[in-house]
Amino acid sequence: MNNALIIGQYVPGESLVHRLDPRTKITVIFFFVFIVFLANSVVSYSVLVIFALLSMFITRIPIRFILKGLTPVWFLIVFTFILHLIVTNKGTVLMDLFGFSIYSGALIQGFAISIRFFLLILVTSLLTLTTTPIEITDAIEDMLHPLKKLRFPVHELALMMSISLRFIPTLMQETDKISKAQASRGVDFRTGPLKERIRAVVPLLVPLFVSAFKRAEELAMAMEARGYQGGEGRTKLRELKLRKRDVMILLLFIAVVAVLLVTRNY
Amino acid sequence: MKRLRTIDLTFGAVFVCLMAIGANITVWFPFLALPIGGATVPLSLQTFFATIAGLMLGKRLGAISMITYILVGMAGVPVFAQMKAGPMQLISPTGGFIISFIVVAFFTGLIAERSSKPSVPKYGLAAAIGLAFNYGIGVTYMYAAMNTWLELTISYSVAWSSMIPFLVKDIGLAFLAALFMVSLVKRVPSRWLSTVKAS
Repeated sequence: MNNALIIGQYVPGESLVHRLDPRTKITVIFFFVFIVFLANSVVSYSVLVIFALLSMFITRIPIRFILKGLTPVWFLIVFTFILHLIVTNKGTVLMDLFGFSIYSGALIQGFAISIRFFLLILVTSLLTLTTTPIEITDAIEDMLHPLKKLRFPVHELALMMSISLRFIPTLMQETDKISKAQASRGVDFRTGPLKERIRAVVPLLVPLFVSAFKRAEELAMAMEARGYQGGEGRTKLRELKLRKRDVMILLLFIAVVAVLLVTRNY
Repeated sequence: MKRLRTIDLTFGAVFVCLMAIGANITVWFPFLALPIGGATVPLSLQTFFATIAGLMLGKRLGAISMITYILVGMAGVPVFAQMKAGPMQLISPTGGFIISFIVVAFFTGLIAERSSKPSVPKYGLAAAIGLAFNYGIGVTYMYAAMNTWLELTISYSVAWSSMIPFLVKDIGLAFLAALFMVSLVKRVPSRWLSTVKAS
């Protein structure tokens, strides 16, 4: 579990997708989420499916990792599909099932929505599968830069992201320790009415909060002792750089969008 | 606008970690799984913690901290409920609840900043208003997601009534948040509480 907390869903690799600038990946995926809704025909859906599957194969991530990302939403896809079969009544009646008429339109619509769902999950999970949280943090800091003009604390936000990435595992261990400590003192949460059990959360959460804030205070002091004074004039360890391959991928994506727009309604 | 101090940054970051723990509290405290409508629903303290974030950090830092939480989750770190992560969590029908935490922290912080005396009614009011935004945004988003990209036509009232069992649970938790905040204020140094003036 700890590993997943630090690297997220990232699966290390050397593929083209892994080496792309995180900003390129975020841009493509951001727009992909919107263009999925433009598809409305067999051909246009096929264009998107081919694009998504191709990207998936290029990453060379083992299928089982991708399937693992799909499992939590699998249920939702099937549920939506079934709901469509029941609710939608378009087209001709195909058959009667337990008193429900299944319409041909429902089958088509249910299928289309499921594909749409699948595409969204697959492509968005490719981002987190091929990019470390730290890379995404760097990219977000860079991409939100224009908001600085509106006095939005972009640098501070990115730094908070990095700090929390580092402290999430630590505080989770702390939670574990507190729960064991309280149990060893004889606190019993397993029996008693629900209301009592929920109120028992307070003596668990107070030490958790206190230890978290202590750490925060110590960290702030350590940072200031080392001369931290905000984002002004700060240099970076990891510099983001747009390369030729990023431009190529962006152009390729624009081409996909163009093909999609042409093949709509076919 | 005042610049964020270093300590503001670290407090905001620590609240991101606390949100991650609150969202998955049943991992450590399995007794918090609630029976709702026959099924056992693992309790999530996300709204509870978002409320505390607003009450402790104030409206601005509280909201920024919640934005950070969402971005960390989108970056693939399993900080959302049931150890989920990724941008898909925001697109899915329940994504509105996650987005609403920003507003929840902002408005609870706004009320906490209004008067400096900590008390159960004051924090209770703040938590209740936070909860109203939580469900107002969450359910509306769910309704919109269902009717647009899932193309399931459901009425607004159906969307609401499907969430009522959870709302009952969250009203209880909002009240608990107020109680918790009062006991926390007594136990921590006042320099940690930007919304409570030293008395």
